[in-house]
Amino acid sequence: MREITYVEAIREALFQKMSEDETVFLIGEDIGVYGGAFGATAGLIQQFGEERVMDTPISEAGIAGACIGAALTGFRPVGEIQFMDFVTLSMEQLVLQAAKIRFMFGGKAKVPFVLRMPGGSGTGAAAQHSESLENWFVHVPGLKVVMPSTPYDAKGLLIASIEDDNPVIFVEHKLLYKIKGPVPEEMYRVPLSKSQVVRPGKDLTIVATSIMVQRALQAAETLAQEGIEAEIIDPRTLRPLDDEPILESVVKTGKVLIVHEAVKMAGFGGEIAARIAESSAFDYLEAPIRRLGGLDIPIPYNRKLEYHAVPQVENILEEARNLAALKV
Amino acid sequence: MAREVIMPKFGFTQETAEIVRWLKKAGEPVEAGEPIAEVTTDKVNMEVEAPTSGILADLRYHEGDVVPVTEVIAYILAPGEQAPEPAEVAQSGAPAPSVVETVASPAQEQSQMAVKATPLAERIAREAGLELQGIQGSGPSGKITRRDVEAVLSRQPGGKVRAVPAARRLAREAGVALTEVMGSGPDGRVQSADVQRYLASRQAAAVETTLAAPAKAPQPAPMTSVTVESIPPMAFQAVPLTGMRRTIAQRLQKSAQDAPHINLEIRVDVTQAEALRAKANRQRSETQPKVSLTVVLAKACAWALKRNPYLNAWLQSTPQGEQILLLQQVNLGIAVALDEGLIVPVVRQAETKGLLQLAQEIEDLSQRARQNRLRPEEVADGTFTLSNLGMFGIERFTAIINPPQVAILAVGTVRKEVLADENDQVMIRPMLTLTLCADHRVVDGAVAAAFLRDLKTVLEDPQLMVL
Repeated sequence: MREITYVEAIREALFQKMSEDETVFLIGEDIGVYGGAFGATAGLIQQFGEERVMDTPISEAGIAGACIGAALTGFRPVGEIQFMDFVTLSMEQLVLQAAKIRFMFGGKAKVPFVLRMPGGSGTGAAAQHSESLENWFVHVPGLKVVMPSTPYDAKGLLIASIEDDNPVIFVEHKLLYKIKGPVPEEMYRVPLSKSQVVRPGKDLTIVATSIMVQRALQAAETLAQEGIEAEIIDPRTLRPLDDEPILESVVKTGKVLIVHEAVKMAGFGGEIAARIAESSAFDYLEAPIRRLGGLDIPIPYNRKLEYHAVPQVENILEEARNLAALKV
Repeated sequence: MAREVIMPKFGFTQETAEIVRWLKKAGEPVEAGEPIAEVTTDKVNMEVEAPTSGILADLRYHEGDVVPVTEVIAYILAPGEQAPEPAEVAQSGAPAPSVVETVASPAQEQSQMAVKATPLAERIAREAGLELQGIQGSGPSGKITRRDVEAVLSRQPGGKVRAVPAARRLAREAGVALTEVMGSGPDGRVQSADVQRYLASRQAAAVETTLAAPAKAPQPAPMTSVTVESIPPMAFQAVPLTGMRRTIAQRLQKSAQDAPHINLEIRVDVTQAEALRAKANRQRSETQPKVSLTVVLAKACAWALKRNPYLNAWLQSTPQGEQILLLQQVNLGIAVALDEGLIVPVVRQAETKGLLQLAQEIEDLSQRARQNRLRPEEVADGTFTLSNLGMFGIERFTAIINPPQVAILAVGTVRKEVLADENDQVMIRPMLTLTLCADHRVVDGAVAAAFLRDLKTVLEDPQLMVL
């Protein structure tokens, strides 16, 4: 199959959806002539014109509000927040309006839009351009939260998100933009709320999101050489969460490591750990559930410190080896 | 702050160490880094160093106690400070209990035996209000240890057992009380594997009982007292078979039983070897140790072993059966006799080293062996062993192979002898007897003979070593 990058897969999803559906339009900062800070919308203004690829002033609340308004009147907007950090400025629109409107109108209104945003550290962009805030939205009923980890999932999940009738927070990762992977040329959908076993294994379960899926896969290669077979599960959609494959895997392996880049304290890993502990999978645990997350600090500007602020392959290896060493 | 002194872990697989002796007494001041106790693992004696400066206090174990690694063995206090949990102090050299004048009744004797317990075990039992009588001791000579007391306590109502959920489920399903199961996880946590092992052993035990039950004979009636002329008891000194001695005993017994030893002897004229030794010693600097005949022998052995790979091998059991590992490098074990037993430090890659370097390493290893300061990795991975008793005037001897190695060379003394040369002329030559003891499972007689022939050749013409 043809291989393209993660950011190209996103651009292709946008292009194909916009070609097919006139109600889909893009809105964000510098997404038109400039093509977006990471090039996700490059060339689309030439294809679809200023009316469907709209540059805005620097107002994240405005972008989110415009998306909600347009969605209520029958459009399927795709907004872009240049850095996930600045989605904080649109919280009222997203949490109080987008998430609630459908319920406040007794199901008679719907708010179908997607808000794309790149999160994550690793680019030396310091504390205000490196946040991983996905769990803020996971906490809000009425929103969906999607975090693709591969080019294939990025395209399929974005198309499915645009077609979904609910507001979707679509979290990309800056370091993933350049990774390549097989992506079909035609349109396809990766269903929301379907966790995926990306690597089968029997010795321990690693639940990872976004870039941590890639790091877990790298770690698993090394572990396999040591005779440790890690099963890796990517939830892909964080809310609503499909926890079945995770619980089944824990029953099989008895050991689980959860890895995400966001700060560990009150991070998404806590939710996964709690679901395991509350379920019948608990009775199959051979070790306490382990979590790897970002340190309890803002992302440092210094590249070395930045590197150590979030889980890396070697951290995953160490945790996995410790878990695997316990006899079953 | 009171600082804990813990039993250190010197080796990856080490679980316990025995306290050989306390080098400091409770109440003595110690400096950070100063040795405070000598301990022994299976392999080597090591010293426990003070982690900080202060007053040594609360020695929790007696000499001879076997202590799990990371267990607190003592505290170091600031002047005037108290140990965190005042416990009975195991005083080094404490006075022996005064002899009971009256004849002890059997019941009294028994109760005295029953309270053989480590101070820590006693304290835990006392705090829990537990009688020590009746507890089965698992320590040396039946001494009750902390583990024994905790095992009893955990069986009492309210005693909590650390177990992973999977182990609890298995135990529940099998109807097993977790208190019966010994945990192998961190802090004695019961893993599901422990429950499975327990179930398997219970099954095995059940089979044994059924088999053994009919054979059980009735207890003989106690003998009526017979007056016998009193014979003075034999005097003896009991030396417990512990630590290094126990390991040596076990390994050598196993080797003698498992490996069919063949012994081949060869006599070597060491005139040239001695000449080489003398030459080498003229080349050494003042700081370098002298090159001994053992060093020349080590070099010659490495040379001959490279030509006879089946002597430089390990016989190993694997799940697929036994296999012979022909080892690429020669790690030469040099037996060193100590007061408490034999230790065999290893010169790694001896085949790559010259006489002066070998002399340096052998000197360093044997010196530290005598000071009990070898690191565990320095006695591991030997591929062949050299044992020299020549300094005792021993002419020749045989030795037991050190498994998984397959051969050992027993070196006798050098003695001048009157010989006849090829023209029947009388000559006097320094002669050495070498005995090769090899495992016949791996080494055939002819293979052993070829090795000895090569060894003799190179010792009698050491220039060949450059080959």
